[in-house]
Amino acid sequence: MQYFDIINLAYKTVISHKLRSILTALGMVIGIASVIVLTSIGRGVHAFVLTEFTQFGTNLIAVFPGKTTTLGLSGATISTVRPLSIADAISLGELENIIAALPLVQGNARIETGKKQRRTTVLGVGAAVPEIWKIKVARGRFLPKNEQANPRAFAVLGDKLAAQLFAKTSPLGQRIRIGNDRYRVLGVMEKKGQMMGFDMDDTVYIPTAKALEMFNRESVMEIDLLYNKNTQVKAIEKQISNLLQRRHGREDFSIITQDQMLKSMDSILNILTLAVAALGGISLLVGSVGILTIMTVAVSERISEIGLLRAVGAEKAMIFKLFLSEALVLSVIGGVIGIFLGIFIVQSIKFMVPGLPVQLAWGYICTAFIISLLIGVIAGVIPAIKAARLRPLEALRSE
Amino acid sequence: MMVRDTLSFSWTAIKTQPLRVILIVLAMSIGITSVTILTALGESARLYIVNEFQALGTNLIIVLPGRTETTGGQPPLFGATPRDLTLADANALYRSHHIAAIAPISVGAAPVSIRGLEREVTILGSTSALRRVRHLSLSKGHFLPEMDIDRTLSICVIGQTIKDELFARQQAVGQWLRINDRRFRVIGVLASEGQSIGVDFDDMVIVPVASAQALFNTQSLFRILVETKSKEGMYKAVDDIRELIKLRHEGEDDVTLITQDSVVNTFDEILVALTLTVASIASISLAVAGILVMNVMWVSVTQRTAEIGLLKALGATQRQILWLFLTEAAMVSIAGALSGLLLGKVILLILQVSYPEFPLYLPMWAVFSALAVALLTALIFGVLPARQAAKMNAVTALNKR
Amino acid sequence: MIELESIHRIFQVGEQQVHALNNINLTIKKGEYVSIMGPSGSGKSTLLNVISLLDQPSSGKYTLNNQVVTELNDDQLAQIRRKNIGFIFQFFHLIARYSAAENIEIPMILAGIPVKERKLRVEEALVDVGLQSRAYHRPDQLSGGQIQRVAIARAIIMRPQILLADEPTGNLDRRSGEEIIELIESLNQKKMTLVMITHDEILGCRAQRRIRLVDGKITQL
Ligand SMILES: Nc1ncnc2c1ncn2[C@@H]1O[C@H](COP(=O)(O)OP(=O)(O)O)[C@@H](O)[C@H]1O
Ligand SMILES: [Mg+2]
Repeated sequence: MQYFDIINLAYKTVISHKLRSILTALGMVIGIASVIVLTSIGRGVHAFVLTEFTQFGTNLIAVFPGKTTTLGLSGATISTVRPLSIADAISLGELENIIAALPLVQGNARIETGKKQRRTTVLGVGAAVPEIWKIKVARGRFLPKNEQANPRAFAVLGDKLAAQLFAKTSPLGQRIRIGNDRYRVLGVMEKKGQMMGFDMDDTVYIPTAKALEMFNRESVMEIDLLYNKNTQVKAIEKQISNLLQRRHGREDFSIITQDQMLKSMDSILNILTLAVAALGGISLLVGSVGILTIMTVAVSERISEIGLLRAVGAEKAMIFKLFLSEALVLSVIGGVIGIFLGIFIVQSIKFMVPGLPVQLAWGYICTAFIISLLIGVIAGVIPAIKAARLRPLEALRSE
Repeated sequence: MMVRDTLSFSWTAIKTQPLRVILIVLAMSIGITSVTILTALGESARLYIVNEFQALGTNLIIVLPGRTETTGGQPPLFGATPRDLTLADANALYRSHHIAAIAPISVGAAPVSIRGLEREVTILGSTSALRRVRHLSLSKGHFLPEMDIDRTLSICVIGQTIKDELFARQQAVGQWLRINDRRFRVIGVLASEGQSIGVDFDDMVIVPVASAQALFNTQSLFRILVETKSKEGMYKAVDDIRELIKLRHEGEDDVTLITQDSVVNTFDEILVALTLTVASIASISLAVAGILVMNVMWVSVTQRTAEIGLLKALGATQRQILWLFLTEAAMVSIAGALSGLLLGKVILLILQVSYPEFPLYLPMWAVFSALAVALLTALIFGVLPARQAAKMNAVTALNKR
Repeated sequence: MIELESIHRIFQVGEQQVHALNNINLTIKKGEYVSIMGPSGSGKSTLLNVISLLDQPSSGKYTLNNQVVTELNDDQLAQIRRKNIGFIFQFFHLIARYSAAENIEIPMILAGIPVKERKLRVEEALVDVGLQSRAYHRPDQLSGGQIQRVAIARAIIMRPQILLADEPTGNLDRRSGEEIIELIESLNQKKMTLVMITHDEILGCRAQRRIRLVDGKITQL
C-alpha cells in the first residue's frame, strides 16, 4: 500500500464522520488560533514598548546622582549632598565619542501669559534636546548653544502647551512667566505624544541653570549623553566613570545605558510573550486530548473493520499507519484552519482597533503548525498501536 | 423517573467507556486547573498588593508639591517646584480638625560612615508622627521623640540593613555615625519590614526633618503624609488641606493630593481586570473541553441508538431521555471540575511551599464558579446531542444495529 | 379495546411512496389472542408499530381503550405505552451493561416506581419466567432463550393489558422457541391481550384469531 493510498483512506474516513471530525478539528482550531492571536498581541506590545523606549533616540547613556545598585530611584534624585552639576555635563560633553550632553532638571510650575495660565511640567535642559531626544522644533528654534553656564531667559513650548496658552496666535517672541521669572518664547516643538504615561507635549523647556535657580536646587537630576554609535558602550561607560570620579573624588553617581535597559526590557518582554503563548497553549493541550479521545473512539468503533482488513491481509504496520494518518489528517486540518483563523483575527484586530499593537509572530505561527503535527502523531500513536495489536480473529468476532 | 435512577443510569453508561471518560475528565480538568491556578495567583497578587498598600497606613493622604493640569498624566511624583512645601505649611495643616497626625518628609541621599565603613544611603527626615502614620515598629531603642518640628537634633533611627552593614553584631543604639560631615547618635533600630512595596525602610536612616533640611541645604519638603481621624473625614480633610495651602500660597492651588483610597482602588481595579483577562483566556480551554464533551456525547448517542429506541418503546418520554444524556455529560464535567480543582489545589500548595513569602489562596467563589462553569459547559455542549437522542424516531432507532 | 379504522401508513423513500399499510380496519377485544402472518415486507411490523403507538399512521383513526390516540403527542403516547403495552422483539433488545434483573427493572424506573416495590416485582417476574437463579447475569452470560425470557419479564413488569410480540422466536432454536411461545400463551390465559407476528404457520395457527397481511392489506381475518 502506498503512502498516498493510506492518506487517502484516512482522509475519506475523516470526511465520512463529518460532524465528529469538524468538532475534533475545531478544538485544534481554537487552540492554534488563540496561540497565534495571543502571541501576536505579545509581539505587538514588545515592539510597542521598545519603540517607546527608543523614540527618544538610541545610543543614550544616563548618569544619575548618588550611587544606587538597583534600577529604582534613589533619594539622590530628590536631593543629595554630592550634586551632579552643569559643569559635569559640560565636561562629559567634551569627552571623545560623546556627541552631546544634556543636564536635566524636571519640575512643576505655573506658566502665565497675559490672560491665560496653566500648571505644567518644566524641563530644565540644554541646547542638545532636539539632537539627543530626536524631537524636532516645529516653529522658531530651540535654546541657543554655548550658554549653559549663564543662559538668557528663553523658553521653548511643547505643542499642547502652546495651543493651550496661545490658541491661534503665534507664541514666537512672546513673553511668558514661569514661576516668578519672565521668559521669551523662542520656539514650539512638534507633537510627540505620550511617553510612558508622560505627556511630552504639555511641557516647557528652559535652560538647566534657570531651572536649578527656580527650583532652588544644586544638583541636576540626570545627565543624558548621546554617544557615537560606532563605539563600544562598555568603553564609553568606563570613560564617563573615570571622568566623574576624577571630578568628584569618588564614585557618587550611577550610569545606566539604554543598551542595558533595552536588553533587560527585551528579555522581560520575550518572557511575557512566551507566557501568553503558554496561556493559549492550554487550549491547544485540551484540543489534543480531544484528538486522542476521538481516535480512541474510532479504534473501538471499528474493531470489526480492523479484523476484516487483517483477514484480507493487512499487516500490523499498515493498520498502525492507517490510524496514525487519520489523527494526522485531523490535526493538520485543524492546525491549518487555526492558523488562517488566527491570522484573520489578528488582521481584523489591526483593522478595527488600530490603537492596539499587534504583530504577527511568524516564529510562533510556525511553531504552532509543527505542534499541531506533533499533536497528531502523539494523539494518534496510542490508539494506532492499540488497533495494530488487535488479533484478527477476536476483532472479527467482536460484532 | 427519579433523580437517583437518572444518576445511576448515567453512571452505568459512563462506566462502560472508562478510557473515553478519563480523557474527557482530563481535558476538562486541564482547563479547570489552569483557570483556578490563574485566578488564585491573580487574587493573591491583588490581596497582597492591597494589603501592602493598607499596611502603609490608615486613612492616609499624601500631599505633593506641584500640580499638572494634564489629564490622565502622572502626578508630579519626583519633580521640583518653584514654590515648595515647607515645614510651616505642614504645621498649618493641624488647623483642620479632621487630621489626626502629620508627618512631613524630606528625602535625599548622603554618604553614611562609621569607622572607615562608608556607604551611600537614603536619608529620610521626618517627625515622631511618621511612626504612627506609617505603622513602623522598632526592634531596639526609640523612635524620634516628640519635639518642635523645626528643631534640629543630631539623632537618628536606622533601618535593619544599615544596622547589619555598619554595625554587624555590635550594639547600634547609643553609637555615633557620620552622615556627610555631621555626627548623629543612633537612638533606635527599625524592625525589618521584609519585602515591601514603595520605600525600603530597611535601607534608610531617619533623622529629624529639620536636620535633614540642614543636611541638604534646602527649605523644601518632598511630601507630607497626613493621617485623618476617620475614613469619612478623608474627603473633608482633602478640602481642608487645599484651602489651608491655598491660603498660605497666595491663593494658588499648587499641590497634588493623593488619597490612599484612590491608590488602593486603582490597583485593585487593575489587578481585578488583569485576573479576569488571564482567567478568561485560560477558559478558552474550557470551551475546547466543552466541544470535546459534545463530540463524545454525539458519538455515544449514535452508538446507543438502539438503546434509545428501546427506552422509547418502554415508554420513556423525550424529557427523560434528554435528561439521561445531559446527566451523563454533567457527571463527566463535574468529575473533570473536581479533579481539576484538586490538581489546582495541589499545584498551589507546591507553589506555596516553594514561595512561602507570597501568601497564596484560592477564593471560595473561584471554586464554586469552576464547578458552575463546568456544569454549564456540560449542559450547553451536551444539549445538542441529548436533544438529538430525545427527538429520535423510536422505530428507526430500534431497527438500527 | 383496540380499534383501527381505515389506517394508512405511507413511507416516502426518495421519490417513491411505499404504501406499507393500506386501509386497515381491525378490532381486537380484551383478552384475545391474535396472530399476524404474511410474507416479508407485507407490513406486519408496521402494523404492530402502529398498534404499539411507536409509529403514527399517515391517516385513519386509532382508538385504544375508548381513547382516540391518533392526535396525541410523543410524550403522551410514551406514557400510555408505559402503562398499557408490553413489548417483545425479535432481537431481544436488552441493554448489555445491565443484569437480567436491572433490564427488567427499566420500565418501572421510567414510571418512577419506588425502589422497594421494584425489587419485589422484579423478583416475582423472574420467578414467573423461571429465571430466579439468573438475576445477576448479564445478557452475554445468558442463552438466547433465557434472554427472551428476560425480555418477556420486562414486557409484563408493568402489568400491561396488551402484549405485542414481533417474531419472538425468530432468533431462537425450535426448542427454546416453543418454550417461549408457551410462556407467552400462558400470559394470554391470564387475560392479557396478545398480538404476535410470526413467520411460522404452525405457531400462527395456535392463535384463536389469525390475520393475514399481503402488501399492506388484510386478506384474511
Ligand atoms: N422506516 C421506513 N421507511 C421506509 N420504508 C419502510 C420503513 N419501514 C418499513 N418500510 C417499508 O414498508 C414495508 C413493510 O415493512 P414491514 O412492516 O417491516 O414488513 P414486515 O412485514 O416484513 O415486517 C416494506 O416494504 C418496507 O420496506
Ligand atoms: Mg418485520
